[in-house]
Amino acid sequence: MNHPQIAVFARSATENTTYLRSIEGQKSLLGRTMHDLGFDAIHDEIVVTSALAQAILTFRGAANGEEAPIRSIQGDKTHIRGLGVTAAVGKVTVDPEHNEIVIANGDNTILVFDRLAQGNVAPKRILGGPDTQLKLSGASGTCVRTDPIHNLLLVPTGGIAGGRVLIFDRDASGNTPPRAVIQGPVAMGNQFEVYAPQLRLVSYPHGSNIEIWKIPLNGVSTEPPLKIPAPVGRGGNTETGIVLDPLHKEVIIATAAGNSIMTFSVPEVYDEWPAAHPVTSTNSAQK
Amino acid sequence: MCPDKKIDRKADGAILAAALITAAFFATAAAFTAGAAASSATEDTSRLVSVQHLPVDLTACSSDSSVDAGLSANFSAPGEQSLFAALQRDPSQRGAGQQARPYRVPNSEQEEKDAAEARAHGARTPLRTIRDTAPTYSAVAVDVNSNEVILQDNNLWEYQVFDRLSPTPAGSNDISQPKRTVRGDKTLIQFNNGLYVDPNGDIFSVESDTGDKMVRFARDASGDVPPKAALHTPHRVYNLAGDEMRQELFATVEYPPQVVVYRKDASGEDEPLRAIAGDATGLDAPHGIAVDEKDGLIFVNTWGHHSDVDVAGTGKWFPPAIKVFAVNASGDVRPLRVITGDKTQLDWPAAMKFNPENGDLYVANDIGQSILVFANAAKANGDVAPARVIHGPSTRLRNPTGVALDLKNKEVWASNLGNSSATVYPLMADGDVAPLRVIRSAEESKRGVNFGRTAAVTYDPIRQEILVPN
Repeated sequence: MNHPQIAVFARSATENTTYLRSIEGQKSLLGRTMHDLGFDAIHDEIVVTSALAQAILTFRGAANGEEAPIRSIQGDKTHIRGLGVTAAVGKVTVDPEHNEIVIANGDNTILVFDRLAQGNVAPKRILGGPDTQLKLSGASGTCVRTDPIHNLLLVPTGGIAGGRVLIFDRDASGNTPPRAVIQGPVAMGNQFEVYAPQLRLVSYPHGSNIEIWKIPLNGVSTEPPLKIPAPVGRGGNTETGIVLDPLHKEVIIATAAGNSIMTFSVPEVYDEWPAAHPVTSTNSAQK
Repeated sequence: MCPDKKIDRKADGAILAAALITAAFFATAAAFTAGAAASSATEDTSRLVSVQHLPVDLTACSSDSSVDAGLSANFSAPGEQSLFAALQRDPSQRGAGQQARPYRVPNSEQEEKDAAEARAHGARTPLRTIRDTAPTYSAVAVDVNSNEVILQDNNLWEYQVFDRLSPTPAGSNDISQPKRTVRGDKTLIQFNNGLYVDPNGDIFSVESDTGDKMVRFARDASGDVPPKAALHTPHRVYNLAGDEMRQELFATVEYPPQVVVYRKDASGEDEPLRAIAGDATGLDAPHGIAVDEKDGLIFVNTWGHHSDVDVAGTGKWFPPAIKVFAVNASGDVRPLRVITGDKTQLDWPAAMKFNPENGDLYVANDIGQSILVFANAAKANGDVAPARVIHGPSTRLRNPTGVALDLKNKEVWASNLGNSSATVYPLMADGDVAPLRVIRSAEESKRGVNFGRTAAVTYDPIRQEILVPN
């Protein structure tokens, strides 16, 4: 990995379209490898980790060139553990509605920081312990996402190879069990996304299908996903990223080894489904 | 401190045997196995796509567990599984703090074929694709004996060989024609950054991310051919330098940070002879590396990202720097000298080359859009300004990450990540100088997207923009 920029493209960009701007350089504090990032559309900010320096960086939404982050979280009070065996600190999400930044940490914990936290600050909540069933493993670590509408925190346990998705109350802390589970196995790339209005989780494993899973509010769901065949070619079988564009009913896929970003029309993520695709669940999310 | 060799080899004869088989494989039969891996993967992947159909209704696309099982098994190409299983189990710590990773053989041709086949059978096609169809040149080397320039391409997974005197393309849309291209899954080339050419014309190229390997090709290699040797390296290697006097190769590893030193003829699962690693070294995200054989020194530049992988909350940032070590340094040693400070102009420094004839150290300075030249580098220390800086609009430098010296013809080459080109200047060039010649693989106005492993993405609904990190 040569040049750890964040390049920004028009939504309409296609092959050989030059980026509009790029965040890069020493002052940016960016470094390899960015396996995840988030955009805060309420406060117009970009949130990303600087994994090799065990830090969370926040940039202006319009940041350009060699620009410093407006805030950074780093230091011994943070509990942030670096990239390495699990690479877990690479994954971050921002919950703008509740002013929080959430990361999956290398020590099998979920750290939640105030969005405006700056410097060497402790997380406002730590979720971890045997009852949580957290297993933040996988070569590229674990992605986390929140559902601000239903107040959920979603944490996969199996990474690329596939596993369960644990669903916690958004503000769960300590050694708290999940309130619900998608039994899966839910395989995914570096990222997954949540479309909260429809209670759906969207992932892109293995380079061929966009998978749409229903999110249960309680219990264990064994419902299979809706699969949309959408192959990406080179790199599809390795790490991928995914993000949703609800306005245009599109899904955007990044392929690491493919060095490409592909946009698919996938209204199934956003539209109502026929009643024939129910989520079945048991009464308990306990193991 | 050498790389940790905690593995109890006697305790696991099977692992050792597998590793030996692996080494033999790399030395003698890389082509066969790469082909076999691709072939095996073909079968499984074809099985995957053959069962996919456009949904006639929503339930038609629900989960098929047998397909999923096949996919999971196929994540590591089946042809590699027996061969590389030992690598996944082997805890021999491929460099300090590293966990052994599977050795991935590229399978891109089959992936593209499968995607096309699936789309032909109704799978969804992308509305738009952002990618660069031109090379992204990450490194450059010069073979003075054959009068050739080698350019490593991080985007299309290849290297191209050009005549050293290839003229600048006449028209603004004209491009330079390579003499040879080494590209394809058999080559094992992926996100390669480091490049070294030895006096015999052998080309050494090291991969920085998904491949974890260094490949070695003969000068006349061309097409989709296997390397004459491949060495399994630690993950996150960035750059490469050779020491012909001692017959050693030096590689920087970004994280956990270290410099690993191999015998020049190392291959397969050969382990480093020694490593420089530890807090005292100041190797905070090391990138470029150069060897001063005469004075017995190595120069390593660092970006300053610091943390202990095993200890939470140890993250720090330090300014970029060039650290100087003895060529035989090993373990957690302090650098002899450190060049750092505002005067240095270092800004994401990348490849470096040392001129033994006058002691100049050349630095490809990515974000500075410059080539920095530090005089008397063996003695330089502290906040030292470069003696010369090649920089300015006339230079056509754009994100230079590679640099090479041609001492025979008194020239310095730069590879430009940002515009698919290589530019060459007089060895003692300074300031805003026009290149003597330009090798270009895209139009003159090219602005590359600089993609290098786009593993994630996010969306800005305010501006309707797509944000892509490397």
